[in-house]
Amino acid sequence: METTSAPTGRGPLPVLRFLGLVLLGAVIGGVAALCAAGFVRGVLVLNELLLISPRSRMMFPWPELLALTTIAVPTLGGLIVGQLHRHLPQGRPHTPADAIAAVQTRRGRLPAREGGISALTAMISLGAGASVGQYGPLVHLGATLGSLGARLLRLGRSDDNITIACGVAAAIATAFNAPLAGIVFAHEVVLRHYALRAFAPIAAAALVGHVIATQALAQGALFHVAETVVPRAWEFALFVAMGGLGALLAGAYMHAILGVGRLARRLPLRPDLHPALAGALLGSVALWVPDILGMGQETLRFATIAGAFGGGELLLVLALKVAATALCLGMGFSGGVFSPALVIGTLFGGLCGSLVAALAGVSQETFVFYAVCGMVAVTAPVIGAPLTSLLIVFELTGNYALTTAALASVTLASPIAAQLFGRSLFDIQLRNRGLDLSSGRGQALLMDTRVIDYLTRECVILSPEASLDEAIATLARERHGEAYLVDTQERFHGCVTLAELESARQAAGAHRVGDCVDGERPTLHSGTTLWAAMALLEEVTGEALAVVDEGIFRGVVYEVHIARAYLHQSDALRREEHGHG
Amino acid sequence: MARTFRTTPCRLAAALLLLLAGTSGLLAEPLRVLSWGGAYERAQQEALFTPFSEAHGIEVEVQRYAGGLAELRRAVAAGEVPWDVIDMTRSQAMAACDEGLLEPLPTDLAAPAPDGPPAEHDFMPGAIGDCALTHTLFATVVAYRTDAFPGRRPTRIADLFDQRRFPGPRALQRTPAVNLEWALLAHGVPREELYRLLSTPRGLALALARLDALEEIRWWEDGEAPVRLLTEGEVVMASGYNGRFFDAMVNRDLPIEILWDGQVQEHETWVIPRHAGNPDTARAFIRFATSTERLVALAERIPYGPARASAAERVGRHPDTGVDMRLHIPTHPLNAEGAIAKDETWYARTLTRMDDYFAEWLEARQARTGEAPTPTAGGDDQPVAP
Repeated sequence: METTSAPTGRGPLPVLRFLGLVLLGAVIGGVAALCAAGFVRGVLVLNELLLISPRSRMMFPWPELLALTTIAVPTLGGLIVGQLHRHLPQGRPHTPADAIAAVQTRRGRLPAREGGISALTAMISLGAGASVGQYGPLVHLGATLGSLGARLLRLGRSDDNITIACGVAAAIATAFNAPLAGIVFAHEVVLRHYALRAFAPIAAAALVGHVIATQALAQGALFHVAETVVPRAWEFALFVAMGGLGALLAGAYMHAILGVGRLARRLPLRPDLHPALAGALLGSVALWVPDILGMGQETLRFATIAGAFGGGELLLVLALKVAATALCLGMGFSGGVFSPALVIGTLFGGLCGSLVAALAGVSQETFVFYAVCGMVAVTAPVIGAPLTSLLIVFELTGNYALTTAALASVTLASPIAAQLFGRSLFDIQLRNRGLDLSSGRGQALLMDTRVIDYLTRECVILSPEASLDEAIATLARERHGEAYLVDTQERFHGCVTLAELESARQAAGAHRVGDCVDGERPTLHSGTTLWAAMALLEEVTGEALAVVDEGIFRGVVYEVHIARAYLHQSDALRREEHGHG
Repeated sequence: MARTFRTTPCRLAAALLLLLAGTSGLLAEPLRVLSWGGAYERAQQEALFTPFSEAHGIEVEVQRYAGGLAELRRAVAAGEVPWDVIDMTRSQAMAACDEGLLEPLPTDLAAPAPDGPPAEHDFMPGAIGDCALTHTLFATVVAYRTDAFPGRRPTRIADLFDQRRFPGPRALQRTPAVNLEWALLAHGVPREELYRLLSTPRGLALALARLDALEEIRWWEDGEAPVRLLTEGEVVMASGYNGRFFDAMVNRDLPIEILWDGQVQEHETWVIPRHAGNPDTARAFIRFATSTERLVALAERIPYGPARASAAERVGRHPDTGVDMRLHIPTHPLNAEGAIAKDETWYARTLTRMDDYFAEWLEARQARTGEAPTPTAGGDDQPVAP
């Protein structure tokens, strides 16, 4: 186990070290922001060149060929993405979930190669019009760059976690041009704790990202609301209710993505061809409903305009967008879940707004409020970040009335979704991979540490055929209270204690140690986590637990080691989360 | 040493001037310019043509047109081009350049600014093209009668479509351009997204629906028509070119005011047609006419925004009327706040389709409302006369 290198004392050296970390945060922020800006630009250029953006499609001099390119571009893009993903260890692109897992388990050390390939395939996916998001790849790219910085400077795990959060904050600050949202996202989704020691470097990174975004990206706001009216009082009740419905929609969206992923594994087709198949399907449907192609920025805009869609059309585009995104992500395109969720949520909000206008017979002056509330109600549960979603609305619109309306809808959306489905799609994915973050980081850490790390064979090992006297003599000589019975084939037969051997000798009922086995004593296997081992300790008193794999004895883990590991982990966490400089 | 260095360029320049004067006097071939006529040509005459003749001893012959490339195409195909320099909107210049109808311009054609900065830093972005050099920006704006809406005045382009608060007929140009942008802006769409959204059937439908909701539209084609319709009280709001409205407001004292929000800015350029008779004189003229000093002189006579920063900050009062011209040029910061930069590449590629789409809609509208149909435009291009 590596100890945290974060100094917590006072004095000039820790202060200098801390200032150095802030400076490193700013540098990582700058690099991550430039990469994020380049990524966003690259996607835009690809969309123009590959006839995905409506503007390029409109300007294309041979409209009759568009049907061909609409199917061919996502298919070929999928083919390239599939081939590139073969070079990744698990054959899947890395996502923010991997960054979260690295921080929550204090593993850190995000691999640069996987991060780079994932970013490249995400750019190709987005460029070729797959219905995926761009913010997830940006977050993971920022996290990878941050981790790389910590590794280059040979920093400890705690600092690695902070630099990962710096990269994430800078990426969000740049992509949305929203520095506060970047800072909060890094705390809310990635770190999941709040320490001043982490705050300062993250704030520096977000600030640098923001400055670079205003200089280099000069893009229009993601959504931009001119002066708006103030909603009527009773409409706030509707916004809260929309939050509840939005949570259900968010759940459906997340499970559609996971469900297609499960179905895809049963598909009789090589996995590297899956994205191409998804691309072909997507392109064919896009011939009828082009709104589902790409990130859908135009669709997002139209969804905030009353009357841009008919009521039935809203429902159709919404359903198809969910299906298209589930198809693309489930079948192995690389990309995020946030941008499609924005579109889906806004369409859902628009649908609610139209329904209310039709039923209550009121004017559609407050339509944009419904659109934004729907958007927040779906996105906040998907990324598990209610505060970030609110701040994005606030920083992008500068409109306080809209932000309070969004607050109304997120009030119910996030807790309902968390109860029914999980804190976020990332948490659900990690849970499916065996990392449960629902009880916080302490548990996650213990669950991520295997008892095998503490394995030792420095214990008394006896043959089951050994006599009682021999066993007692050996234990006394070795000054141990327990012995483990292992035969010549390394098979484990159980555990005996000195007390039981002695009482068996007195009773004179048994002659060999094999008859005195403590049947109550549980065993561990090499996959057992520290968390599970801790749970066993509640019922067992003894010296150590044996580690047994398929009947074969591996060694023992002393209980005192388990307790010490637990204290050690808690101490590291405490220092990371409550240290201030 | 230093003295020699100082004097040599002067002597060289004097010799060159003498040579130029000698040859031009000898050949006396006039420079043939094609421009737009009207108040615009009068301003150009005072600010550009006469000073050029005086400085270089070359006569300037001016011919008029109303935009369009058809004639240029014919002339280039025949190899007999009767003009040396043409004053052209940038969108048409881009199309003409693609078709190979224009001479490429040298990159160092424009003169540096008086206080030193090179031309490429002084001109606004996109002004220096392969075949065209932007000299001014003109704007299509909405103007309204000041006496039409007692107690209130339109402040946003959305007010053009608000016939409840601002009742009365409108006059609009019979083109998709500008009208579609304004209709979409009235839906609250940000300016940067206009052309992306207009590229979708949904965006087009949304814009046309907003136009369709207007009750009475008089469609105009000739640039002078909106001024006349407003003056005669036939409409209360009209789109038109800012220079013409300025002329009516300031020189003729008519009760008209310009609504600057949503103004659509376009580049006006100088180009040299292929097979031009005097390309060298043409280049000398363009360098002269785009100098800071001449652009200031032009903007002080007609309120079009100079394409150079150094010229924009030097614009002063109209030499005859004393009107402060800065307040009337489209690029003045107060006026430019809600300006739309026309996406000329987009229009260059989509014009035919957009025209057809617009014509189809207009026909349906006219069949429904019984609005007076306007004669269809002749030729293959949009006549756009600033």
